[in-house]
Amino acid sequence: MSVLEITDLRVSYGTAVAVDGLSVTVARGEIVALVGESGSGKSTVALAALGLLPRSAHVDGTITVAGKNVREATGEELRQLRGRDAGMVFQEPMTALNPLHTIEFQVAEAIRNHDPEPRRHKHYRDRCVQLLERVGVPDASKRLKQYPHQLSGGLRQRALIAIAIAAGPGLILADEPTTSLDVTVQQQILDLLRDIRDTEGTGTLLITHNLGVVADIADRVLVLRNGKVVEEADTDALFANPRHAYTRQLLAAVPRLGDTPHDEEPERDRTVLALRDITVEYHGRKVVDGVSLSVGPGEFVGLVGESGSGKTTLAQCALGLVTPRGGTVDVFGGKLTHKARRRLGVVFQDPASSLDPTKTVEQTIAEPMVIHTRTSRAERRRRVRELMDAVELPQALLDRRGHELSGGQRQRVGLARAVVLGPDLLIADEPTSALDVSVQAAVLDVLERLHQEFGFGCLFISHDLAVVDRVCSRVAVLRGGQLVEQGPCATVLHTPEHPYTRALLLASPVPDPAAQRDRRRLATA
Amino acid sequence: MTRFLARRLLLALIVVFLVTVVTFVILHLLPGGPARGVLGVKATQAQIDAFNRAEGFDQSIPLQYWDYLVRLVHGDLGTSYTLNTDVSTLLGERLPKTLLLTATSTLLGILVALPLGVWQAVRRGRASDVVTTGLAFVLYATPVFFLSLVLIILFAQVLPIFPAQAAQGDDIASLLSQPASLVLPVLAGTGVTAVAYSRYMRSSTVDNLAEDYVRTARAKGTPERTILWRHVWPNSLTSVVSMIGYSVPVVFSGSLVVESMFNYPGVGLLFWTAARNADFPVLLGVVLVIAVTTVLGSLLADVVQLLIDPRVRVPGVKS
Repeated sequence: MSVLEITDLRVSYGTAVAVDGLSVTVARGEIVALVGESGSGKSTVALAALGLLPRSAHVDGTITVAGKNVREATGEELRQLRGRDAGMVFQEPMTALNPLHTIEFQVAEAIRNHDPEPRRHKHYRDRCVQLLERVGVPDASKRLKQYPHQLSGGLRQRALIAIAIAAGPGLILADEPTTSLDVTVQQQILDLLRDIRDTEGTGTLLITHNLGVVADIADRVLVLRNGKVVEEADTDALFANPRHAYTRQLLAAVPRLGDTPHDEEPERDRTVLALRDITVEYHGRKVVDGVSLSVGPGEFVGLVGESGSGKTTLAQCALGLVTPRGGTVDVFGGKLTHKARRRLGVVFQDPASSLDPTKTVEQTIAEPMVIHTRTSRAERRRRVRELMDAVELPQALLDRRGHELSGGQRQRVGLARAVVLGPDLLIADEPTSALDVSVQAAVLDVLERLHQEFGFGCLFISHDLAVVDRVCSRVAVLRGGQLVEQGPCATVLHTPEHPYTRALLLASPVPDPAAQRDRRRLATA
Repeated sequence: MTRFLARRLLLALIVVFLVTVVTFVILHLLPGGPARGVLGVKATQAQIDAFNRAEGFDQSIPLQYWDYLVRLVHGDLGTSYTLNTDVSTLLGERLPKTLLLTATSTLLGILVALPLGVWQAVRRGRASDVVTTGLAFVLYATPVFFLSLVLIILFAQVLPIFPAQAAQGDDIASLLSQPASLVLPVLAGTGVTAVAYSRYMRSSTVDNLAEDYVRTARAKGTPERTILWRHVWPNSLTSVVSMIGYSVPVVFSGSLVVESMFNYPGVGLLFWTAARNADFPVLLGVVLVIAVTTVLGSLLADVVQLLIDPRVRVPGVKS
């Protein structure tokens, strides 16, 4: 019996169509993945299933949850269906929980909402403890009294899953449940979702952009593009033999370890960046602890680690934005003076907030020239246009502002700005993390081409080991502010020495169901 | 929490001290000084010199300030030049009346504004919201003196229901014995605060209704009423509460105008007269009172914030 049945769903906002004729069923005990890039309409489907779309949405088609017609349900019927017949897990566990209420209140409320005789929240305490223990929250009774901000991201997501299953629904709608989590935590959450399916027989509609996650956990996959399903298949079949061109394109865009051959690295006697024994403290807590790292001319060095490992702090030391408590920062063999900054470019993670919203693309790219050089206006115009070509942006965008561009376009502008003075060193902090895979692939291509043209050395920060393997020749692994391992990618990412590097590698899901099953066996062994 | 309060109190003391320094210096830098204003245009230079010597104006400003501070610490705010009364006695008579006026109108303002803001936010974009928003902006754009005039014309002249002037008398009992005379000044004061607070409450509620946690609450089957009052309401209050706490100076300056419009015998009217007569001791006294209430207002807001928001109260997870 299916717990979710959607037929010919069409959702539009005014003239913009978000979902276009989508049909999907989820049976008990089945995990169905809805995969697509941003704007493909995948979240809209989950919200529509619970009648949670805003009033401005125009909805057509039929949606049946646990045999009940969602679109014809009254307000009270909908309320009863939400949580009892289908629970929902969201992407951002921090904002998805109310910051002013305890975990107990929020879990108890999920039970209480479906109790025919609702009692006071504390009446449900024992059940709350059971639920938190079920989703693997340690010290569950202690956690009940805590507020969301006192929990780590992984624990918050577990609490949200506890809320989703509190009223024993037959269906879980999970909208990017692991996207904001570190890979090792992601693996634990996926294990939990799998375990809930295995023991409670819950059906799951998993919405994700991550093909590795799909390969890891899904039974069946629907590939979405611009609101339309372009391909539907069993997971093994889809990865083994993708029929639609878009599916193939998506799969090809996912960087994989070992795709890029690494040449023997020459010994370098000069450096463009040398960090020696760097230590940084915030309020007496060491966030970077004795890290030494160098980047040679023209060399790409990857810096990987999970959140809180000190990657960004280290980059800020290199940029002179953070003064380390101990150790030395050498840029181009000396201190980071105003003159040296001219040879230093930087790209940030979030392209939306790292562009000045009041400046046009042309002004943004030209700004370093205005600050550091005495080039004429005509010369600047020429140079900006050259760079627009180099990052493959049409000249028509020159007068646009940041909010008028897509994420990929913004990051290209960021890249153009970073290299406009022909830097010798580029600091790139998660430059593609906020982008879709196909956009990421294109931006990485641009970065490689710029590298060939300008020959800069680069400190490339990322949490994605496959991306680092693709663009870097050397890699350093950070954990809790300490360097656990560094060396050529060919060694560190393929025959790692340190157990943490091995754990990281095993935790990053690969877009290949068979390989993923083997890795799981290895990880649990 | 005790440490937090102790630190805030210390900070409050420093702020009040700095306010006295700044007002004292600015007042005493005024050319001519208060002598001419107090003694009149016909005063001879000898009389002026005598006045300045008696009041210590012939000394350096730091020395004068030191004298002022020593007297202040002993509870002596000086004597009014024009009214020949202790400033502390004057403030003792006037302050309760002003507090009655500002507290009542602020409280009424909050009582009207918060529910109104929530109501507008829930009905956002519908006719009822558009109409009340339009009216709110008209009221927002109306200066207090004009609003007072309109109230006087409407309710004291066209429909003579309430008196146009507040009851006169030395103590607060005289005001309370004629409550009808309080209605118009309080209404004018309420108009000042209610509109501003309701706008803040509306936008804060609108923002919170769009938050992820509201979606979570809905997705687990929480009734809309519960979502609004147990989830959205406290979250919306967190930002509005501090805004209300910090609005004490605005309320006071509103009251200055209201008091002079309705001849309400409060601190505002006292300040008004003192400012025209260069009555330094009174001016300093009133500014001190306003500084203390402002600091207390923001302190109170911080405490309320502390009580509703666990993120301020309980340290978070170390990432």
